[in-house]
Amino acid sequence: MSNVLEVIGIEKKYPGVIANRDVSLQVREGSIHAIIGENGAGKSTLMKSLYGLIRPDAGQIKVFGSEVNLKSPQDAIELGIGMVHQHFKLADNATVLENVILGSEPTRFGFVVKYDQARKKLLEITKNYGLDIDPDESLSNLGVGERQRVEIAKVLFRGAKILILDEPTAVLVPQEVDELFANLRELVKNGLTVLFISHKLDEVLSIADDITIMRQGTTVATRKPKETNKKELAELMVGGELPKPKAGELKVSSESILSIKSAAYSRADGREILHDVNLELHGGEIVGLAGVEGNGQSELIELIMGLAQPSAGSVQVLGLDAATTLTREIRNAGVAYIPQDRQRDGLLMSAPLWENRILGHQFADPMAKGVWVNKGAAIEDSKRVVDEFDVRTPGINVLASALSGGNQQKFIVGRELTGDPKLIVAAQPTRGVDVGAQAIIWDHLMQARSKGAGILLVTADLEELFSLSDRIAVIYSGTIVSILNPAKTTPEDLGLAMTGAKSA
Amino acid sequence: MSTETKTAKAKSFFKSPARITLLIAGLFLIISLVESITGSVDISSPGTSGATLRFAIPLLMAGLGGLWAERAGVINIGLEGMMIVGTWTAAWFGYLHGPYVGILAAAVFGLASGFFHAILTVKIGIDQAVSGLAINLIAAGAARYLSGIYFPPVGGDRTVSPPVETLPSFTIPFVADFFKSIDEKNIFFLSNISGLLYGITRDLSVVTVALLLLVPLTSWILWRSKFGLRMRFSGENPMAAESLGINVYRTRYIAISVSGMLASLGGAYLALVASSVYREGQTAGRGFIGLATVIFGNWRPSGVFAGSLLFGFTDALRVRQAESVMSLILAAGIVALLLAIYYSVSRSWKPAGAYFGIALFALWVNQKVDTIPQEFVTVFPNFATLIVLTFLAQRLTPPAMAGMPYRRGAE
Ligand SMILES: Nc1ncnc2c1ncn2[C@@H]1O[C@H](COP(=O)(O)OP(=O)(O)OP(=O)(O)O)[C@@H](O)[C@H]1O
Ligand SMILES: [Mg+2]
Repeated sequence: MSNVLEVIGIEKKYPGVIANRDVSLQVREGSIHAIIGENGAGKSTLMKSLYGLIRPDAGQIKVFGSEVNLKSPQDAIELGIGMVHQHFKLADNATVLENVILGSEPTRFGFVVKYDQARKKLLEITKNYGLDIDPDESLSNLGVGERQRVEIAKVLFRGAKILILDEPTAVLVPQEVDELFANLRELVKNGLTVLFISHKLDEVLSIADDITIMRQGTTVATRKPKETNKKELAELMVGGELPKPKAGELKVSSESILSIKSAAYSRADGREILHDVNLELHGGEIVGLAGVEGNGQSELIELIMGLAQPSAGSVQVLGLDAATTLTREIRNAGVAYIPQDRQRDGLLMSAPLWENRILGHQFADPMAKGVWVNKGAAIEDSKRVVDEFDVRTPGINVLASALSGGNQQKFIVGRELTGDPKLIVAAQPTRGVDVGAQAIIWDHLMQARSKGAGILLVTADLEELFSLSDRIAVIYSGTIVSILNPAKTTPEDLGLAMTGAKSA
Repeated sequence: MSTETKTAKAKSFFKSPARITLLIAGLFLIISLVESITGSVDISSPGTSGATLRFAIPLLMAGLGGLWAERAGVINIGLEGMMIVGTWTAAWFGYLHGPYVGILAAAVFGLASGFFHAILTVKIGIDQAVSGLAINLIAAGAARYLSGIYFPPVGGDRTVSPPVETLPSFTIPFVADFFKSIDEKNIFFLSNISGLLYGITRDLSVVTVALLLLVPLTSWILWRSKFGLRMRFSGENPMAAESLGINVYRTRYIAISVSGMLASLGGAYLALVASSVYREGQTAGRGFIGLATVIFGNWRPSGVFAGSLLFGFTDALRVRQAESVMSLILAAGIVALLLAIYYSVSRSWKPAGAYFGIALFALWVNQKVDTIPQEFVTVFPNFATLIVLTFLAQRLTPPAMAGMPYRRGAE
């Protein structure tokens, strides 16, 4: 098989960081090629160069054997390279079809969009590759898995031969990952080539034909899954041994940290999202909330944080009635919140890190000094978070947007775990972070638990769910259908419960 | 994915205009009823509907202008100033070279004022509200300054332009006569409706008709054309658009320029059709009301049109008899009563109680107050705006990134 894509000696510098240096990569035609590496290793940067989003300072890119000079994504698209970004680039207030055809609309006379023809073409693509999406559905109604399929359809619609996916599985639940992988296999069977980034080594070993490892901006090795194992890959990534989370012993207190009693929630348009939810959380325990995305997890979190009001029942957080207490007071009472969408709810992307450190803590000591914010304390504590959580950044004055996705996540987790919170609402706390950082975050969560905090862990990562949770609550279609003991439950049982089959 | 959902969608599509027509007919029935009770026939008189249309057109143009800009992602607070540009240039060039040249001039200068807003907000990245305010101030100042230099003094007054030749208007043959004849027969409901239709089919300016066509044209551009799709994405998610090779800056430049042109044409209408001179302060805040129609109309051309008719109607009432406001209050009372009944039937006691309260209040006002103070009639449109926006705020879907700063290459 020939190489469809070849990268020779690429280099890219940002102020204070070398994001890529001396990067080399060979991708065979019709293969699934995985790229792995720590947060900030330069994976996304490399992909952006391949897609013409940024221009490398030095080096060569060869596509189908000939050297190319990518000035913009348009150039990449013309060469048959398509990219699905780490953060989706879709508009909610438009249909699937509109999102897909944007930028390569088939037209009559150059300005009238031939929507019917476009719909036909899209339906053909979705049928051929088994992508289950409805062209006329409004995007605001779609869950993450469907959105990703829209992104893939978008790329295929442009006739891409090489597909780049940046952390496609980070946002998916296990079933969705399986569906995605089935889609990807279908694609390579049809002669396409897939290049994807992942932090989940099991996944990479199971689906990839080749695995390239990056470390500190450069490619360090390429392996075939048959010739390697998880341990070797992890060591190649971090250049040493992995830290192990220390499991503390379980000391559940009698104090009720969170008590939800027959809570229901309906949206403004009258649709009932949650009904009859009951959940008790005590100090010193971690309760994992498992479920396929879109079954009411986000809304449940909003109820707990006082961001939404239950239409029935009660939500007590640290003895406060969340329905009538301001979110600020809930937070000040000792509730930490790691939101699942870090860029939308967790950070101000165009503000420096130290300002982001203040977010959510702007009313309490030490971030507040009377009516002013305490800049000195914010700067100092930002430095501590950066150190303690191994946030890879040139400094605390850089904008949040300059950090890689995983490092943004680490910063948020560090901020929220500060000050011994009593309740930690952690939604996807390790989404998009590498195995090393994942271990650090797990370790901190365990430490918080042994200090007596109650943790509600909402996660799509089964490994995380099983290794951290003391109990697993399964949410399905707006209510908690069962509470499982992780030690006595298999992933298969859990999968069944999550999809609404009889609980285990 | 199935055909089921598609037919369901098609159904709701055909259902909603039918529903709206029914709703309007019902409202009109109530108004006819009120008019036959009170004996005042001003609301449905041809005079009122004609005036409503005349007042609505400038608001519509400002609204469409606002819609073009916001759909592309930039809020245009400068609509008022751009309308001033339209009134002044239309009157001045109209005076020199005839009204058609006046309109053309307003279009060109409006386009330029929009382009200026685009340079400030898109290229330089100035805050959109600041740039809009600046345009309002500059336009008002420049108009006064240039009036002083160019307009021949009329009795020492330099704030009014010399009169401009009027534009031709026409009455739709047969149709208007038909409505007129029914209106005069005084049949309940039918005559009221015909009176209204007569008002909008007689003495129609060609400009009115041409400008009305911009409503379907804008819809067509937004949902059928390539530019419209790109424009909508520039307002919804410019990063996504940029990543697909779309030149967001250029799209915004074009949309904002068109926005300026539309607002300016609304100004030209004020100077050349609604009157025949430029007068200082002629726009009287219509640019801002236009901005409100964008919200009222949920960023859709047809909605903007409906909004401008509503605001145009309240405006028309202001210059006509105050009693008609009284009839309107009575009509509102009846509507509230019906809603109260509707909600009590479906056992939603809270809204039922609220509407019942409103109904009682309206009836009380109707019984106890003899004459509505002129001041109230004057603020009525503003009041109506406020109420409508309060009630609608929940259901709106504004372009996600309208008003947000955007720089090329941002993530
Ligand atoms: N626009 C930018 N400005 C400054 N520095 C940047 C910018 N983009 C990336 N970097 C830096 O370049 C390095 C590589 O970032 P990159 O996003 O490629 O990492 P990654 O391997 O994709 O990490 P992750 O797994 O966390 O997504 C990081 O140190 C990051 O802080
Ligand atoms: Mg990345």
